[in-house]
Amino acid sequence: MTAVAGQPVRRAGSTDRRLWIAILVLSLIGIGIAGYLTYVHYEGLKVLCLSSGGCETVQASSYAKLGGIPVAVLGLLGYIGILGSLAIRGELGRIAGFAIALIGFGFSMYLTYRELFTIKAICQWCVSSAVLMTILFVLTAIRALRQDPALA
Amino acid sequence: MASRKEQKEQARARRLAEERARAERAQRERRLRMIGGVVLGAIAVVVVAIVISSGGGSKASGLQKGTAANKTATTVENLLAGIPQSGARLGNPKAPVTMTYYGDLECPICQDFTLNGGFPQLVSKDVRSGKVQVVYRAFQTATRDPAVFKTQQVAALAAGQQQRFWNFTELFYRQQGAEGSNYVNESYLAGLAKQIPGLDISKWQTDRNNQTLANQVATDEQTGTTAGVNGTPTLVFQGPKGKTAAPSASVPDYSQLQQAIKQVT
Repeated sequence: MTAVAGQPVRRAGSTDRRLWIAILVLSLIGIGIAGYLTYVHYEGLKVLCLSSGGCETVQASSYAKLGGIPVAVLGLLGYIGILGSLAIRGELGRIAGFAIALIGFGFSMYLTYRELFTIKAICQWCVSSAVLMTILFVLTAIRALRQDPALA
Repeated sequence: MASRKEQKEQARARRLAEERARAERAQRERRLRMIGGVVLGAIAVVVVAIVISSGGGSKASGLQKGTAANKTATTVENLLAGIPQSGARLGNPKAPVTMTYYGDLECPICQDFTLNGGFPQLVSKDVRSGKVQVVYRAFQTATRDPAVFKTQQVAALAAGQQQRFWNFTELFYRQQGAEGSNYVNESYLAGLAKQIPGLDISKWQTDRNNQTLANQVATDEQTGTTAGVNGTPTLVFQGPKGKTAAPSASVPDYSQLQQAIKQVT
């Protein structure tokens, strides 16, 4: 695991390794959630306006897509991107992961705003994803700001 | 007292430490500049995404005025002119195939089907030729307030008392407001009614209080629930011998509608 990240075990601080593992775990959970929502969007349910509230309403809303692409797919790509950035050595990987998480965080905040104030329906899956993105944003930011122990 | 050699060594170590600190500082600054650039870039991406997303919502602009309203009225007139209507039915009542359309006027997916799906072609070909008749049934989904749902549906049925239910419905879908913006009010509904050529507005206003029409909305919803409808648009085709079919796509295109027609005939 550490070899993939390009973090020599002895020199990398244990904080850095913990960050790496936390980001790995969270992005895998994110892939699970976004993957489920993508599946539901394409396979499980027809995209209709549904009579029961909550997730169906959110998924059926016009905000569920961005330029024709379901936001669940965008989320999935984001989590995969963050996961992938863990495999890139050095600064580039750290900053790429942070950049993706920041975009994900910003867009998640916007979508949560839409859920609360425009659609007036809450989807617990979407909220979980927003929370995950927020934590990932914080963790990747710390990781990007920290000195890369491999280079120190 | 340190020897000369020791002093030299110390100076060297100091110099090295300073150099390393300088290098680290430079690296840190470079990293901060990079992170700053990334933050600006990410903000730009998010802003663009929000603009696109909000633009998707503002397609639904609400009641049109002036040239836009005239253009919409002409489109609707061209689509429907000459096709018989009675109540919520569009087309020849003797048409062998009936498509029941469970819809909510505020539902954006219904709008998508009615404007961009297979519906316009179905109307201009199969309904016009007398092969298919369409019956609209009210089914509340996107409209949050049941009272508003009833009011807007009764307003459409009141236009149906003058054989203009579908004119009202088409105009509504074409001028749907943004979701959750509470755009359906008296002036919105009256504005739509005014766009319908030949509609007697005062009769329409009177008919809106007709209890039969309100009962019709309730019956529609019960029929839908009994039939297992749980979302809109739900389309059910019924052939001359009672065979039924429902397209599996949520916004079926014309060929998918044709397929359903073939299945029931």
